[in-house]
Amino acid sequence: MGITRKSFIGSIIGVAALSFTGSVHAQQNAPILIGATVPMTGPLSLTGKQYQNSLAMAEEDINKAGGINSRQIKIVFEDTQASNSTAVNAFVKLAQETKPAFFFLSSYSTQNLAVAPELAKVQVPAMYAGGADAVAEGGNEWMFRVRPADSVAAEGMVKATLDVIKAKKPGILYIQNDFGQGGAQTAAKRFEAAGIAVVGMEAYGQNDKDFSAQLLNLRGKGADTILIFNYPQDGALVLRQAKLLGLKMPLVTSSAALVPAATQLLSPADLEGVWGVVDAYMDVSVGGRMKDYVERFKSKFGIDPDPYGLAYYDGAMLMADGMRKVGTDPKTLRDWLEAVKGWQGIGHVYSYDKKGNGVRDLTVVKAKAGTKTLELVQPVTLN
Amino acid sequence: MADFVQLLVNGLAIGSVYALAAIGFVIVYSATGVVNFAAGQFVMYGTFAGVATLINLQLPWPLAYGTALIIMAMFGVLFFVSVYLPMRRGSIVTIIIGTVAISITIQNAALLSFGSWPFRLPSPVEDSSIALGGTIISTHALGVVGVTAIMVGGLWLLFNRTSVGVGMRAVAQDLQAAKLMGLKVNRLLALSWVLAAVLAGVAGLMLGPMWFADVNMGDPIALKAFAATIIGGFGSLPGAIVGGLFVGLSEVLGASYVSSAYKDLISFGIMIAFLLVRPQGVFGEKIQDRG
Repeated sequence: MGITRKSFIGSIIGVAALSFTGSVHAQQNAPILIGATVPMTGPLSLTGKQYQNSLAMAEEDINKAGGINSRQIKIVFEDTQASNSTAVNAFVKLAQETKPAFFFLSSYSTQNLAVAPELAKVQVPAMYAGGADAVAEGGNEWMFRVRPADSVAAEGMVKATLDVIKAKKPGILYIQNDFGQGGAQTAAKRFEAAGIAVVGMEAYGQNDKDFSAQLLNLRGKGADTILIFNYPQDGALVLRQAKLLGLKMPLVTSSAALVPAATQLLSPADLEGVWGVVDAYMDVSVGGRMKDYVERFKSKFGIDPDPYGLAYYDGAMLMADGMRKVGTDPKTLRDWLEAVKGWQGIGHVYSYDKKGNGVRDLTVVKAKAGTKTLELVQPVTLN
Repeated sequence: MADFVQLLVNGLAIGSVYALAAIGFVIVYSATGVVNFAAGQFVMYGTFAGVATLINLQLPWPLAYGTALIIMAMFGVLFFVSVYLPMRRGSIVTIIIGTVAISITIQNAALLSFGSWPFRLPSPVEDSSIALGGTIISTHALGVVGVTAIMVGGLWLLFNRTSVGVGMRAVAQDLQAAKLMGLKVNRLLALSWVLAAVLAGVAGLMLGPMWFADVNMGDPIALKAFAATIIGGFGSLPGAIVGGLFVGLSEVLGASYVSSAYKDLISFGIMIAFLLVRPQGVFGEKIQDRG
């Protein structure tokens, strides 16, 4: 018995329809892929590992809560190391092979700036934690910052220097990159606006290990307080060397010097007379969701969490909220994020502007005398 | 003046570490003709040998330091057997790429073993300091300078007053002649690697309390040690010492009296100037072809 043309075409259509239905069904059950470019190795992994852990915890929590309208999420990580070109390659690899619905970029501004043009081509919303104002000023509508911008942090440091320490002759020490230079310049302008002259500005390289020349120069210029724009390890080293050199003036650090990875390198004596501006005050005494987050993170990963990681956790929760409400269409999700106002994360209240800046609150802290415990001096909210 | 003295001691302490790394570099190059691009990772490995013995095993000071240096000596032997011997007949490019690859491997092995968080390696003198007028000098920094001086003295005695040292120099000067004279060349070559590893271990143990133990600390040290050997003279032990001290001092004093933003430019600028004007360095001989 021969096959008629009609039955042959019918069976082809049937098979095609079946496979199409199958693929749609499979797609509905497939996890939503999220790309994360994180410094997992190299000198920047000190903080990178923290937000890799936080994102992994967020993925677990989102999926336990039913995922995104019954679809699970899966975060795919790529290593950016400490290099801009590696960060770009990591991003492009994810964009081409994984095709994620959403991205998390690293917390290093130089890498964010390098990746921004590629993100503009891909046109998928992304969250990042680099603080440099230059990233937001670049006008990439797909980028949303989950931490305070450096200008906000610098303003907070100036506020602490003027209002809390009441310094008259501040000096500035900064790491020589987009973050450090931007922060130092913002701080200098703010001091100038307050009628206070900065007595000196000193720089150091990312791989530098000796800061005696810069610290002694600032002391020689009569600095009564030193503001430090630093990364974690160099920040800890600066604080330690300042004590070894016998510097007595207060030191005001940016947040990186007070993350657990840095403070574990310091003694209580190293932290004497040290103030800092941290993104969020992370202590179980805060209670509520903060207590829960800190305790769960510590039991899961065996280390204390830091504010950078918390920012990514909050970011992932905000992303999930958006996806549940408006789906995963990139443009719709981007528009929803831009319209977010007063979204209550664990670490911050998120309200986005047209430039993708979402956080304007931070905290001034100080080490409790004779201990390494940070105590809250005052919360700061800036416009 | 007080600040100058403080900077001088700091510069000498950092320069001493560069000098030790550079000496290791020179010993290996003189004996084997290999430019060891993993020299910085040798220092890092020495620091982490200290982390293992002092922090993880909590051994008392002399035993911890002794064990760390034995670990480094074994590491030198392992490097000789597993890296140098298989590559020694390869081209210069093969050896360079090989040592760079090994350098990356060592770094990532340390990352996997110890994690990304740095350690604070303790010092036998802790954070004590000596106050002289307005100057506060770290006892550890002074100790680093003293230990380096002792190591240099010990090396001089080894190379000039012992048959093993004379044999090592003979192998470095003419390998074939040394073989014909009945010297155990392979053993002496292995000893060169052991010596380089032990010196790097001493540098690493002294550096840990100053800079923290960090798996990424090797590369900057390698660059500075390389600059020190170029300035002092490739293949010259006195040159490595002078070059190391010079780089350390120019780094610290340059940052203070010229510009903190351009201090590395000063060190490497001087190195480039030497390469252009006097490629044999301060103490080096006229460069000739070498196998």
